[in-house]
Amino acid sequence: MKWVLRIVAILVALPLMGAVVLLAMGQRSGAGRSHASIEIQAPPEHIWPWLEDSARLKQWVSWLVEVRDGPHAAPGAGAQRVFVMRDDNNGGALMEIPFTISDYAPPAHVTFHAEVAGSFKGDEVYRLTALGNGRTRLDQVGQYQYQMWIARLMEPLITPQAEKKMRADLTRLKQAVEQSETAPR
Amino acid sequence: MKAARKPALQPPRAAEWLLLALAGDPDAEFVAGDLAENFGCLFARRGGRAACRWYVWQVVRSAPALLSLRMRSGELTGAVLRATLGVLLPLVALDRLWRFVYSQIPLKDGVERDPAMLLANILFVLLCSWAVGRQEPRTPRRAGPDVVAALVAAALAVRVAVGAAPAAYIVCLLLSAAANSFWSPRRRKLR
Repeated sequence: MKWVLRIVAILVALPLMGAVVLLAMGQRSGAGRSHASIEIQAPPEHIWPWLEDSARLKQWVSWLVEVRDGPHAAPGAGAQRVFVMRDDNNGGALMEIPFTISDYAPPAHVTFHAEVAGSFKGDEVYRLTALGNGRTRLDQVGQYQYQMWIARLMEPLITPQAEKKMRADLTRLKQAVEQSETAPR
Repeated sequence: MKAARKPALQPPRAAEWLLLALAGDPDAEFVAGDLAENFGCLFARRGGRAACRWYVWQVVRSAPALLSLRMRSGELTGAVLRATLGVLLPLVALDRLWRFVYSQIPLKDGVERDPAMLLANILFVLLCSWAVGRQEPRTPRRAGPDVVAALVAAALAVRVAVGAAPAAYIVCLLLSAAANSFWSPRRRKLR
């Protein structure tokens, strides 16, 4: 009986302790915020199309399957787009993420606002800073809020993974841009 | 000139080990003792080769009966239960959790897991298999079914998890799953 109680205590205590730690971590400043930065050997004007053009977006945003234009597709604030992402962690299901451009200043910065009902809402900001000598620093900042309680609890685990994915995508973008810069025109 | 080596009066090692592994702790010594006695008689009458053949054949034909005895004693059922609760279910639960975490990433991600998550899997398996493990002292022979069941459970969990797992992780996971079968808080009592 003593051992049964011990087993039950451990099996209850482990998830409980995990939940308490996650709850505490979820209170940190910058919760839900992910940031990645990269320097690219190309001027901002050459990088900008890679942030706008659907075909080019698919080359560096991993798991992006399709980009559909919304009712207001003209470039600028208010333009809408739907990103169709493949989610291999959800049996390969296709997830539609509607984005609205909330801030548009080519070739310096653009902000996409995303909102998926019952899942998350937040902003993805791309900021291009010319460094001189044809170099540019691209900063990507994501700030999201999760609507499901379990996702809110898991935020301290989700955000670092989102940041990791962001870094991998930016590395791919750098390669793609720099390859296109050196390719004969 | 080489001196002619006298054949040792020793049953084939591998067959003897298999016999001890198949027979449960209460029966192993008796079964092995009987067979060794007959092996000795046969060795004296018909020589080493015939005795070894006989011994191996005896082990092979007793295997189903020994396994069935062990199953009826509940030992194997216990091992399977412990492996399921201590290894398989925790790993499957963690895989579901990691899938959920990754599917909440706004711009999604693949199924390659972070090393920290894989490490958490290993630690969780160690804890869970310790929590549900046998509490009585165990011998390597007794640990056999537990080790096999834990290894099968870990392999099954890796198989049903999404994505390819790195080889180093699989090795560590299998070792952790099996480790608890050899360790017991009361092991000292054996001495």
